[in-house]
Amino acid sequence: MSTAADTTASPPGRSWRNIRQEVSAPAMSRTGRRRQLYAWVKMGAVSTFLAAAAWGTYVVVHSWETDRAVLATAVHSEPVRDIVLITDGVLNQQWVNGTLALPKTASLMALDLPALRDRLLQGGQVRGAVLSRNFPDALVVTVQERTPVARVQVSAGAGSPQQLLVAKDGVVYDGLNYDKQMLATLPWLDGVRLVRHGGSFEPIAGMADVAALLSMAQLQAPNLYRDWLIVSLARLADRDEIVVKAQDIPEIVFTRKRDYFKQIAQLDYVVDAARSLPEPTLQSVNLSLDGQVPVRLTSTPDELQKAVQPSFQLNHSPRKAKRDL
Amino acid sequence: MISNSSRIVGAVEIGTGKIAVLVGEIARGRSLNIIGVGVAPARGVMKGEVVDYKAACEATHQALEMAEKRAGARIEEVWLAQTGGQLDAFYNEASVNVKSADNTVTQLDIASVCALAKEKELPAGRSRIHEIRRPFRLDGRAVPDPEHLSGRRLEVGYWIVHGPESKVSDNIHVVGGYHLEVRELVLASLASGSLLTTAEERTQGVLVLDIGKGVSDYVLYRDGHVLVTGTLPVAGEHLTNDLSIGLRVTAAQAELLKLRWARGTGQTRDKADKVWLNGDGAFGDRQLPKLAIETIAAARTLELLEVIKHKLGPAFLAEHCGAGVVLTGGTSRMPGIEEAAARVFGLPARRGEPPSWVKDELKDPMFSTVLGVFQFGLRTAHEHAMPQRRKTGLLSNLTKIFASS
Repeated sequence: MSTAADTTASPPGRSWRNIRQEVSAPAMSRTGRRRQLYAWVKMGAVSTFLAAAAWGTYVVVHSWETDRAVLATAVHSEPVRDIVLITDGVLNQQWVNGTLALPKTASLMALDLPALRDRLLQGGQVRGAVLSRNFPDALVVTVQERTPVARVQVSAGAGSPQQLLVAKDGVVYDGLNYDKQMLATLPWLDGVRLVRHGGSFEPIAGMADVAALLSMAQLQAPNLYRDWLIVSLARLADRDEIVVKAQDIPEIVFTRKRDYFKQIAQLDYVVDAARSLPEPTLQSVNLSLDGQVPVRLTSTPDELQKAVQPSFQLNHSPRKAKRDL
Repeated sequence: MISNSSRIVGAVEIGTGKIAVLVGEIARGRSLNIIGVGVAPARGVMKGEVVDYKAACEATHQALEMAEKRAGARIEEVWLAQTGGQLDAFYNEASVNVKSADNTVTQLDIASVCALAKEKELPAGRSRIHEIRRPFRLDGRAVPDPEHLSGRRLEVGYWIVHGPESKVSDNIHVVGGYHLEVRELVLASLASGSLLTTAEERTQGVLVLDIGKGVSDYVLYRDGHVLVTGTLPVAGEHLTNDLSIGLRVTAAQAELLKLRWARGTGQTRDKADKVWLNGDGAFGDRQLPKLAIETIAAARTLELLEVIKHKLGPAFLAEHCGAGVVLTGGTSRMPGIEEAAARVFGLPARRGEPPSWVKDELKDPMFSTVLGVFQFGLRTAHEHAMPQRRKTGLLSNLTKIFASS
């Protein structure tokens, strides 16, 4: 203890205050160790309390800041007069008005935007929605819609079957405002088991692969895609096969293990080759094998006699050109 | 009930004969309330220095635990009394020319002269314990505070007490073993002197002798300031030893004889006057001449006091010591020691009496040092504390919480 009225800097040399006071645990008595433990526990408890208090303060402040009632009084706002819809799809103003169903006197600030957003997403047709307040009285709704890639028929009890749409991500939804002619071009889905989940259905597994095949066909071979009626997913889970039923071919087997572009090119070739045969009818085309494309034909007895092999190889041997397509 | 604005401080003296602990509640840094006492026989300490860490720890922690138990509170920090034969001190002074054109002393001048006076290097392995400032002198006249006064030359001196770092740290680590931090280190002689003398006596000049079991501490005051402090590794234990050798008895028997029959000055004249060694009449008990006991004790006491006088040297002048000699410590309970001191120093001598605020059970000389630690700590903090901005606010309070844990 210095007894001087010091205003000076520390003198040279060590003071007793420079002596390290910490004592290692083995050099402490049992009581000392107990006191040390008590100090640590106390420090831990104080730290935990402070952390909890800080977190609680944050929660209170955050909830106060986001309290709609407080905001409504803090900011001048008027009842919602206009709902502006911005969409990349087919939904319209009538739909958004009906879905949101805002009371006429609802104040813009008092709106529960997360709840309204949930309401918009409920139907399934909307993939994402952003709601923003445009002061003083407009609510701007920006939605991103799903695009249907297939249709599915659902029969609920004794009622008439209902047509639903399936998006690329497997979501099954009603589908509003779509062009009927466009919908008529979509193939039907078969071999799927729809599982109810709340008011809707659980997404269909594997639809990403099916959508990839369909979009590839639509883009690269629209003439073929046009005739596709049913796409079956019955063998998708077990054998990775997508079976398509076309207007004039009862069974076309695709595999998701191989490049869809190549499979579609092979199918196009097979179909073209089959047309060159007299009164040919393709019963089945299997594109799931790499290199080999087994084809089943419905032909006249003469031609069946001529046909030595029911399957043929693609472009690999020019000497077998008569048999090979 | 412990209030929030108070702190619980333990004053600890690790002596050669006993460990004394007082627990005090210090409110607002000024008022003291003694709430617990703990005393344990010392072990592992020789001449005020720790020689057996484990034994010293056990004894000290026993006293600390007892004091905490009686106080019903946990000690937060420790003020430790420091003694030991290896403590040393020197005086160093410095002077500066007042810098301002109008010769008015500024804070800068005071800071410069103080820094210069404390600048002297210590020998290797030594730690500063106290830096006791003597009064400033401005152009030769003593002034308590020279700021804003006019003069050409400002001087100041420091009495610097230092000790071996290893010995000082041993004492600190004994307390650290109880997971307590030593916040203040107070020289034992300063602690006793602070308790047993009044400001008036210190101004008149007074010599305080704290004669314990292994070490004798002394402090000489003049003009209200500490002039000299010192420690001598000769004390009551030497009397016991002399009796043991001179009478051919064991140390324990000699200690008993000392407590019962020893005197600082001889009183008995009859050689036939005898006392029993043990007094229990058992086998081995025998009679010893009382004159021999008194003669041995008085001779050693006089020798001890002479050594102290010799160590004080020219600093001690009887005419500048108007308030006489004050004796304290365990050995001061020996009858006749006041007369011995009066004879050696040529001054009236008396046993130190603690101030009236000290409770009766703490008036024993063995508590002088620990009580003095509180007194000295509070007085110096009050007298010498520089005005500082009071730290308030959340951060400061949080720091306190963690510091107390």
